Amino acid sequence: MNFDVTPVEVVTREFVVVILAGFGNELLPLTGEHGDEPCPKGLLPISNKPMLDYPLSWVEQSGIKDVLLICPSSHRPAISHYIHSQSSSASFSSVHIDLQTFDESQELSAGTCSVLRHFANRIKEDFILIPCDFIPPPSLPLSKLLNKFRTDTISDGSIVTSCWYEHKPDKLATPDEWGSPVQPTPIVWDHLTGTLLYVDSPHETDKNSDELELRMSLLSRYPQAKLSSRLLDSHVYVCKRAVLDLLAQKTRFDSLREDFFPWLCKLQYQSTKREKYATSIRIGIIIHRADDGFAIRVNNLPAYLEANRHIVTENEMHQFVADTSIGDFTRVEEKSTIKKSTIGKHCVIGKMVKIVGCVLLDHCVISDGAKLDGCILGNSTTVGSKAVLVGCVTQAGYEVKDNESVRHEKLDISDWAAQPEDSEGDVEGSAGEEESDEDED
Amino acid sequence: MSPNTSSSTGKDKLIVDEEEVLQAVILADSFNKRFKPLTTHKPRCLLPICNAPLLDWTFESLALAGVQEIFVICRSHAELVKTAIKNSKWSKPGAGLKIVPIVTAKETFTPGDAMRDIYTHGIITSDFVLVTGDLVSNIRIGDVVREHKERRKTDKDAIMTMVVKQSGVNHRTRSRGDSAVFVIDPETSKCLHYEAVTGYPPKKYASIPREILNEHPEVEIRNDLIDCSIDICSVEVPSLFQDNFDYGDVRRDFVHGVLTSDLLMKSIYCYIAKEGYAARVRDTRSYDSISKDILARWTFPLVPDDNHPGGHSYEHLRGNKYIAKDNSVILSRTCKIGNNTLIGSKSQIADNAQVIASVLGQQCIVGAGSIVRNSYLFDGAVIGPNCVVEHSIIASGVHIKERTRVERGCLIADGVVVGPQAKLAPFSRLSKRRQDSDEEDEEFEDAEEEVKTATTEDEVDSELEDVEANQDPEALAKLGPGTNAIIWPLPTVDEDEDIDELEHPDNQRLMRIGDNASDLVLSDPGSITSSGQADSAVISEFQQEVKQSLDRAFAEGHSVDNAAVELKTLRMASNVSLRLVREAVIAAIVSRIKIMAGGGIPQRQEIASMISRWGGLIDKIGGVDPVETVEILQEYCASSDRLPLFGQILAALYQDDIVDEDDIRAWHGNSKSQGQGVKPTSLQDNYNKCWVTGAHMIKQFDEQDSDEESEEDSDDGSESRDPVVENPVTKELPSAGANSSEENSCEENSDEEDEGNTDEDDSE
Repeated sequence: MNFDVTPVEVVTREFVVVILAGFGNELLPLTGEHGDEPCPKGLLPISNKPMLDYPLSWVEQSGIKDVLLICPSSHRPAISHYIHSQSSSASFSSVHIDLQTFDESQELSAGTCSVLRHFANRIKEDFILIPCDFIPPPSLPLSKLLNKFRTDTISDGSIVTSCWYEHKPDKLATPDEWGSPVQPTPIVWDHLTGTLLYVDSPHETDKNSDELELRMSLLSRYPQAKLSSRLLDSHVYVCKRAVLDLLAQKTRFDSLREDFFPWLCKLQYQSTKREKYATSIRIGIIIHRADDGFAIRVNNLPAYLEANRHIVTENEMHQFVADTSIGDFTRVEEKSTIKKSTIGKHCVIGKMVKIVGCVLLDHCVISDGAKLDGCILGNSTTVGSKAVLVGCVTQAGYEVKDNESVRHEKLDISDWAAQPEDSEGDVEGSAGEEESDEDED
Repeated sequence: MSPNTSSSTGKDKLIVDEEEVLQAVILADSFNKRFKPLTTHKPRCLLPICNAPLLDWTFESLALAGVQEIFVICRSHAELVKTAIKNSKWSKPGAGLKIVPIVTAKETFTPGDAMRDIYTHGIITSDFVLVTGDLVSNIRIGDVVREHKERRKTDKDAIMTMVVKQSGVNHRTRSRGDSAVFVIDPETSKCLHYEAVTGYPPKKYASIPREILNEHPEVEIRNDLIDCSIDICSVEVPSLFQDNFDYGDVRRDFVHGVLTSDLLMKSIYCYIAKEGYAARVRDTRSYDSISKDILARWTFPLVPDDNHPGGHSYEHLRGNKYIAKDNSVILSRTCKIGNNTLIGSKSQIADNAQVIASVLGQQCIVGAGSIVRNSYLFDGAVIGPNCVVEHSIIASGVHIKERTRVERGCLIADGVVVGPQAKLAPFSRLSKRRQDSDEEDEEFEDAEEEVKTATTEDEVDSELEDVEANQDPEALAKLGPGTNAIIWPLPTVDEDEDIDELEHPDNQRLMRIGDNASDLVLSDPGSITSSGQADSAVISEFQQEVKQSLDRAFAEGHSVDNAAVELKTLRMASNVSLRLVREAVIAAIVSRIKIMAGGGIPQRQEIASMISRWGGLIDKIGGVDPVETVEILQEYCASSDRLPLFGQILAALYQDDIVDEDDIRAWHGNSKSQGQGVKPTSLQDNYNKCWVTGAHMIKQFDEQDSDEESEEDSDDGSESRDPVVENPVTKELPSAGANSSEENSCEENSDEEDEGNTDEDDSE
């Protein structure tokens, strides 16, 4: 017991923020290890700012002081360094971040429910669950959610306020090899009261893949319900502490969106269930329309690329060339063109390089005459001279050889060892052609 | 075919010619029997509501909408309808309406049949308004028609616009028994899915096809709409009915069919009326609620004191009381007229009578001291002194004599005489006996008798005959000495008859006047997942009690019989299955067998003494099922530390004749005994060990049969030959053999004849 600290906390905290920073398996190979160093998802830069900056500054703006940041234990040093490093602590001086680790294997990542159950004893008050990969739009301050939660909890026993956003994907198609963007989950909500009524779950799809089955008792209570398959879960939930108690009761639930919320929705209109668990339950919902500002969850590669593009166009301050931001200490040699891209710090870009619609993380080295189109290059990727990459993603530290040409692939280190013999022969011819084109330019 | 060509040219014309005549089709037949017996001599559309026939209300609504040509499709009592049309003020020259009655065949059983008839008549030349003959509306249908035509210019496949009225889920005019969930695109108000909802048995789920989300990612699910049955249809609608001859109902078949069809590629839109009023008299309940709506002036400008479709004029008094204006109403000084009441001309209300929230026709008489509440009296109804009439519909010419009580929900048809001092059960339906009906009809409405077509007469007669033939004299006697009534039976379901869910009596109860249907379970409490756990609570409690009871029995040395009685009582109290009792008993006995350290003979003696003392209890708990006994024993042993004792216990049970050879064989033949499908796979091994033990025992039986060995020998053998077990068992029981040398106490003897065993194994 630390006697120096306790008297300070006279005012009880209203909320604690729980930020979950997972492995980011969907972002592989970007989140793959670089040698022995992990590349935590939360630290991947979006427009040259670590991803975590976005939710953290969102939290800070709302005036909340306490953050419980949960990450896998292998990421702890990197994230701890980030928290205490100059850049972030300067901007988040008012936020107290409690870094906790949760052991899960990269292969079998635990669902949010399990993580929350594990940390239930650390959460003593109402909490806000925020994923590390949500890029909140400026038009949606966190306080808007909090205010809805505050009014709802007082007036009619709401226990959760969730936030769903509409996302219109860019026309620019990303290669199929990157994985398809997250499909929206059909939900039903009541517009008048802002109540989430039904969340479709894989379980329901298994039961009846052709039809959505809605209980008549739901429709009787909320006769003007809306159903949409256009909304995505921001995974931002403002929850009462009681949610943890419910989670503790329902031990078999793993995923919040797929298991827990569909179930919780049913409590609202099924009297038998409600009697068993609570007197009255309501789930608030805030819907953020695409027209009101760009929101995205960066939980897959296409989204990562898209987020970078969007944030760049929004932050005109850093703009170097049109639609491009270039990080500090990066060197760009003569006759190179860079369009619609984000270049990290300490990169070296050679002569006659063409970069269109790419994201380069820090310390990338692009040799002369290389062409990159729609690529994401992990930390310290080196691209050989006159190499051509179209729609590729590389793991940190990957090396692209001279004159190599790759299309639509995820390049990770293990593949790379075996690759050259397979592909180079076929590819060289085309690379050569490209080369000549470039010279003419 | 001429109708076809004419209609198609009509459609083309529509798009060019704005000055098209707006046509309307009224389905004047109800195609159901919800108003029986009021409708035995009169079609529903001629029943008065607020003292004007329903059909006139419908004409009024259509005239308001700017309709110029109306086709009235009638079936039953067609001549009556024709006469009514002829006499209607709308038929007068200068009314601006052309009303054409069309009589369809008797075989027209559904609105769909009527639509097919319209098609063959070829009367439709452009978009038309389809309504039923029982509509009360002040909605500006003209606007809807314009919207529909506008839409048709861009979307040729938009064949229909349904007018629906926004209300609440439990609005009194919204039918509880027959409503629907509409899935609508909020931007275009295109109807994407129509889900009919029947009130009882309560519908649990609305199933919305996922595929509509592909094209319409955001939709509204509306469960608060009153379906007004006003449809703006395109010319091809009748032909669609013609093509799909199985379409019966306009909503449940046609709309549903068009929306779900992959071939038709037609679309249907909704017009959500936020203002105005529109409702259909679908049943007696909506008759009640619509009457109240009219009195409460929701239908303005169609209200009794203005634009009354019957042409009557009423004076509107405070509290929505309407009294005929011609000063012919005689109200006693002491009578009481409640709010929301309409009293027709020449009616008389005597001293101390009360008329509350009711509608009285012309020339009605309410006797002194009578109470008429929430009821509807048609023209010429007479209520004697000191009667009570609640929530009922009393048709014209009915005479209710003094001190009669008409409970809620009664329907009393034309000319019935009841009482005096009769007591009508709730929801009685009375009509006049036919013998005298003939005479009186001639007096009263001779027009009706003449014009009735022979066919409808027959139909009605046969039904009346049925009813008349099955009269209960006792019930009739209660209707008073002067009655001429027959009682219609309560609706019942014929087992063989394939009755529509909608018309099921239980569902119809939701549509009856005065029936609050409080005994029907309508709410859906949600899936009951808790029941399983509740049961398990009962079970665990029971097991606890059995354990205590047996503890006492063992400790105090009760007799087997006494213990059995106690168990039986417990079982009755907790209402659990016999198997549970057996499980508890076997568990109790087996758990009391001490495990002897050295095994061998002391262990066997321990088992034998325990079984001989308490084994009898197993068969005294209320049923004998030795196979189950073995199963339970296996189950218990497999999951406890008594596993090694299984064989010996089984042998002891065999010894005490609690199980016999055949039972063990039966158990052994059961696939479950081998541990198949047993949940924790760890237990499967144990199950299998037990099963193998049993297998050896059976071999032993076989040998006994063949060798004719004495039982004692075999028993002795089982004791002494423990070590030999290893041989046959090692393969299947590597572990069991090691930790339990005597588990297989019975099968050891079999070792003597190894060859025999292997044969046995093969055969199994």
